[in-house]
Amino acid sequence: MTTHVQAQPKTEPYALGDFLSWIMTVDHKRIGIMYLITAFLFFLFGGIEAFLMRLQLAQPNNKVLSPDVYNQIFTMHGTTMIFLAVMPLAAGFGNYLVPLMIGARDMAFPKLNALSYWTYLFAGCFMYSSFFLGGAPNDGWFSYAPLTENLYSPTHGMDFWIMGILLLGFATTIGSINFIVTIIQLRAPGMTLTRMPAFVWAQFVTAFLAVFSIPSLTTAVLLLLLDRQLGAHFFNVAKGGSALLWQHLFWFFGHPEVYILILPAMGIVSEVIPVFSGKPLFAYGAVVYSMIAIGFLGFTVWAHHMFATGMPTMTLLFFAGDTFLISAPTGVLFFAWLATMWKGKLRYSSPMLFAIGFATLFLIGGLDGVHLAVVPIDWQLTDTYYVVAHIHYVLFGGAIFGIFSGIYYWFPKMTGRRLGETLGKWHFWFFFIGMNLVFMPMHVLGIEGMPRRIYTYGTGRGWEIWNLVETIGAAIIAVGVLIFIINFFVSIRKEATNEVDSWDGFTLEWKTASPPPVYNFDEIPSVRSRRPLWDEKHPALADWKMEK
Amino acid sequence: MNTLPQAHPMSRLGTGKVALFIILASESVFFATLLVAYAALRDQNNWPMDHSLGRLTIPLLNTAILILSAIPARRAIVNIRNEKQPALLTSMITTLIVSLVFVAGQVYEFSHAGFHINDQAFGGVFFTLMGFHVLHVFAGEVFLVINIVRTRLGDFSSHNYSAVELGTWFWYYVIGVWLVLFAALYLI
Repeated sequence: MTTHVQAQPKTEPYALGDFLSWIMTVDHKRIGIMYLITAFLFFLFGGIEAFLMRLQLAQPNNKVLSPDVYNQIFTMHGTTMIFLAVMPLAAGFGNYLVPLMIGARDMAFPKLNALSYWTYLFAGCFMYSSFFLGGAPNDGWFSYAPLTENLYSPTHGMDFWIMGILLLGFATTIGSINFIVTIIQLRAPGMTLTRMPAFVWAQFVTAFLAVFSIPSLTTAVLLLLLDRQLGAHFFNVAKGGSALLWQHLFWFFGHPEVYILILPAMGIVSEVIPVFSGKPLFAYGAVVYSMIAIGFLGFTVWAHHMFATGMPTMTLLFFAGDTFLISAPTGVLFFAWLATMWKGKLRYSSPMLFAIGFATLFLIGGLDGVHLAVVPIDWQLTDTYYVVAHIHYVLFGGAIFGIFSGIYYWFPKMTGRRLGETLGKWHFWFFFIGMNLVFMPMHVLGIEGMPRRIYTYGTGRGWEIWNLVETIGAAIIAVGVLIFIINFFVSIRKEATNEVDSWDGFTLEWKTASPPPVYNFDEIPSVRSRRPLWDEKHPALADWKMEK
Repeated sequence: MNTLPQAHPMSRLGTGKVALFIILASESVFFATLLVAYAALRDQNNWPMDHSLGRLTIPLLNTAILILSAIPARRAIVNIRNEKQPALLTSMITTLIVSLVFVAGQVYEFSHAGFHINDQAFGGVFFTLMGFHVLHVFAGEVFLVINIVRTRLGDFSSHNYSAVELGTWFWYYVIGVWLVLFAALYLI
């Protein structure tokens, strides 16, 4: 496997000029790359929306955005980041890596895979077209009924949102079914479930979460569509409907969704930390069981988003207690990552920096979550900026940092070139500092009572200084994004080195050429341990010999 | 690419079957959440469903028709296993005809229900649950039509009939969902 490093420079499968072959492709690697690029573009849109909000809130009584536009912007920011950026970024990594990591030639259903991507792209463009067709959705990413009924949301924005969500749900469901079937059916000889890379396990659990939670969202938006278009009364209390029904249906999806967003990032970090510590993942079994436990528990805590709705005390107690439970398996993951790094030969390259950043920031976000699980504290803080701080530490500090760790880690595999290390470190520090400047003061603002989703605020409440700091932080993050984009274009124009094994990796994707040929492997690899590539490079110290 | 050896499947089930199981599991969550919505709304409303035998005649007949359709659906698998392509064709066409009778019964039932989707929450729940079931009946019928065409084209043999099996299993699912919905909407 070492002879083909520069054997075929002309047959690089990713010649960008060959446009039509990209449109028609069913190759999981190309689809993965298309997911990643599209999702990154949507990430930029969502980022621009976030920055517009920060400009509006930089000073009291600011007039950058009108109240109506502000509502559309924050709705589309949340919708974009969750459905059009983070989920498809994770799907992009999954598509690219799962078949490579389990030693398969492609996904189980390559055409469905392409259908899933194109549906996603169409749904994203469809939702964004609403800005030019009478106004974007403007009721927030969880679209509480009855605010979203015709009477209160008369523009077509909500209809665009509903149809877009239905399409995205379809795309995610068939994509997830594809992952599950691929992982069950197409593993290479010897790649037992207990030898699968942690990232594949994370994708596996994520796919199950999607398959079982998205139907609830589908139901919710279908009922809302029937209310809006056919005059049904599901959420109309005056005609026997229920306003709380929306919240139950939405959050029964919405909480597993949080884990759909974070588990793939946890999987990425569980690959990066061992390689950059030069040690196998500590307590692999505990990591896998914790991911599964997080998956199951994720389905049982949805009503902690609804503490302020006046549910019975026993219900509150159940959901609060259950929410505390989730921190146990999450804590196990943290200890596993720390123990992997303990006494390891640490290399602080960009992927590792982002992985450590992930662990640090996600920990803060997780602890915020524990605060919010305490019912009386939640009553005080619900719908304030404290909640905004929590979800951004979890999803920006967590998911996005994990995803960038993955981008730096697998970029050499996908393109045959490394991303620049110096710019990578600049990117990391701009992100890390900017992120904390934006979101740490939100804790203070939340405790001081600043509600989320207000388009402006008056003077004299002590909110000015923190809001200004946050806007400066947002500018620093924006510079970080620019550094990444520059790094991307500088690196992609360099001559390919086609290193097969850029980071001294452990898993099968580092066994084949960079970028891999269409069929992935010259011959299907045989696997005897959790680190097949380590075994190959160190036959005397092979894991499977040590296990005996 | 197809000439290269594939990684061999780890489980003895085909990829199609694993995929169908997961699709149906996901569908079941969909119907379950609709039933939860039904239960929640029923809990806080006067439910106008009439339980008299006269009211239940058509739904009961429809239930019987749908259950009977399981027989030709099952025969399809048996026939192709025994390499009887003409009999396979007959059993699938029979299933299709019986399913169309069921749809006709549903159309009659819907038009004589005495309420509409926009009368109170009840109408919305009733027509949404029933409507999504009928959509699944249509999906099953499309599956059957494709399989009928493929049989005419000679696609199936006793070694290669997984699409017939999947079609039949999907049809069983349609019947199963109906039994749950019938009990929930008409009997309870």
